Amino acid sequence: MKRTWRFWVALWAGKIITIALLVTGKKGTTLPGKIANWIDPEIMRHLSMAYTDGIIMVTGTNGKTTTANLLASIFREAGQGFAFNQAGANLVTGIAGALIQNTRWNGLSRASLALLEVDEATVPKFCEQVSPSLAIVTNFFRDQLDRYGELDTTVRMVRESLPKETVLVLNADDPLVAQFGTNYANVVYYGVERTPDSRSESLETREARFCPACGTELEYVLFHYGQLGIFNCLGCGFHRPEPEILAQDVRSEEGLLLFRVGVTSFTLSLQGYYNLYNALAAFTAARHLRLNDSLIHKGLQGFVPQAGRMERFNLPEGEITLTLVKNPTGFDQVIQTMLGANKPLRILIGINDLAADGRDISWLWDVNFERLGTHEARIHRVICTGLRAEDIALRLKYAGVSGEKLVIEHMLPEALIRLQASREDDEIAFILPTYTLLFPLRKILEEQQGKAGLLHPKAQDSREEASA
Amino acid sequence: MKLNICHLYPDLLDLYGDRGNILALAARCRWRGIEPLIQQASLGDDLDFRGMDILFLGGGSDREQGLLVRDLMRREEELRRAIEEGLVVLSICGGYQMLGEYYQMASGEKIQGLGILDVWTIAGAKRLIGNVVVEIDERVLSVDSDQSIGMRASASKLKTLVGFENHSGKTYLGEGVSPLGKVLFGNGNNGDDRAEGVRYRNVFGTYLHGPLLPKNPHFADLLLELAIQRRGPLTRLVELDDHMEELAHQAMVKRLLKQA
Repeated sequence: MKRTWRFWVALWAGKIITIALLVTGKKGTTLPGKIANWIDPEIMRHLSMAYTDGIIMVTGTNGKTTTANLLASIFREAGQGFAFNQAGANLVTGIAGALIQNTRWNGLSRASLALLEVDEATVPKFCEQVSPSLAIVTNFFRDQLDRYGELDTTVRMVRESLPKETVLVLNADDPLVAQFGTNYANVVYYGVERTPDSRSESLETREARFCPACGTELEYVLFHYGQLGIFNCLGCGFHRPEPEILAQDVRSEEGLLLFRVGVTSFTLSLQGYYNLYNALAAFTAARHLRLNDSLIHKGLQGFVPQAGRMERFNLPEGEITLTLVKNPTGFDQVIQTMLGANKPLRILIGINDLAADGRDISWLWDVNFERLGTHEARIHRVICTGLRAEDIALRLKYAGVSGEKLVIEHMLPEALIRLQASREDDEIAFILPTYTLLFPLRKILEEQQGKAGLLHPKAQDSREEASA
Repeated sequence: MKLNICHLYPDLLDLYGDRGNILALAARCRWRGIEPLIQQASLGDDLDFRGMDILFLGGGSDREQGLLVRDLMRREEELRRAIEEGLVVLSICGGYQMLGEYYQMASGEKIQGLGILDVWTIAGAKRLIGNVVVEIDERVLSVDSDQSIGMRASASKLKTLVGFENHSGKTYLGEGVSPLGKVLFGNGNNGDDRAEGVRYRNVFGTYLHGPLLPKNPHFADLLLELAIQRRGPLTRLVELDDHMEELAHQAMVKRLLKQA
């Protein structure tokens, strides 16, 4: 395709702004893409032509960032260069910005492969201009409905906009995702046999009670979490497809995730069974790209979790785990993980309702906080912060957490102090913020960790290993 | 004492945390020593409307709403009779629309509703999304036959309702019914006349998710009082410690009215 003057102006404007931002020390992931896209609305199409080894797209509700980062870790292990929209810049502007960064002033691309995380609501716009060679679809859950309209619409939009020639890497255990494979030639499925948390009955919020094809209520042999599990439809025969990549012997120990695929065993520094799916998605995509199995293994094993995804901090009063919460299924998984440790708990929950968090916070009532109520004796203190601190405190009151354990504190540094005050040795502590509170909290945690002369637990571990 | 609370179509109408309304009603019963019996009923289940104390209908996605109108039509006569006898109904968003006369789609086609409420809904061009504050019309919050109870409800510290709306249908009220109150922030029924919700006998319709009842404890208690009154001699509801509820309510009122 012929590149127009608009393309060059857009590319150079984008690159100049990137440099200007870098020089002034501002972290603006979207501005270069925004301006470039405004000058040439077709810039993604032009830039995407350069990726002769393919464009890998990662989409779905939960796990996009972790899956993309796991795959990136495998690529790095394999010495494969690639363009990447890191830091979750997954809307059109962020993606355009990442592609611009990977393109030289003369218009040539630095890498022949692109790995792009694409927000599910952005998939139609993205696929209008870019034809991904491979698309990973992780799962669909209710997330920030005020931004996207209803879940049905999102799923349909994604499904209808994927090009027929794209290879689909699909989560076999999610009926909303597995349905994408019907009438598709190039599909690879991944799935889980069972986890220690799998149950024959579901007590959680879940989507897709009904068959996406015919509307009959789905039957389940096993629920892994949410609507993920081993399902089939008595109405039309739609069922959980046989996964090509299947995780078996799944368990967790000491904050590590253990499982086996075929004859290969994995030990990953990830917490929570939802992260198993992210690892499987990355594994499946890498396999399909014909990467060597031992490189894939190394890439996954060497992965260090992304900022704010079960990230651990070492503080003088004890370790704290920080993890982003953004929807009921993700939050339920975090609760499962927190209670799984079987220790007394201190929790700081931060709920904001800005655009990036989702303006509607009613999803808090779809989270199964009643599980905290059931284990009330082990919940020692919950600090509530953020613009909707009162709302989360009220939610916990109705979940059965007694009022004297609930503290409302709007100032973040004070909230953190109250979380740690007179903390006992056996208590574990978690901080669970929505998106716009994640980075402010993380900054405070890093500062305190630094001031105390302590290192990230992960970094410390590897140093000990090196000296041993 | 026991109260029968029926959550109708929880599997189909369960958007935007609406189940929080059931959690709130149940907890506020339990805290007062009233035993809440929660029935979850879906398509085709047997229902005894006259044996129920409170019926809850939430909101759903458009596809799922289509399925329900037919199922409800089948039960219309029974439901209507129970309502005339004073059954307490809380209907939100899609549930509210279904109890009205009709829903007129963008194509002009009309989907018939149950016609229990003298309201009708017309598909709007843009979705009305955001926080809402409503100033309650005190007459609406009174218990019909007993003025003293009406005064009790209006003596509550809270004079407003807060919630979150997310709808594209615009609902208009007929002459014989009144809204729950006046919109101080947000859109309400239709974004045109500043009215929000409706009350007919003990049937309440509203667009307020949030969920509505946890953060509006005075409104939750009104529903409980109406339900108890229908069963016989009225015992007053025990006052609860609503400190947390009022904090959550007032935080939003303060923040939104400052913006307005």
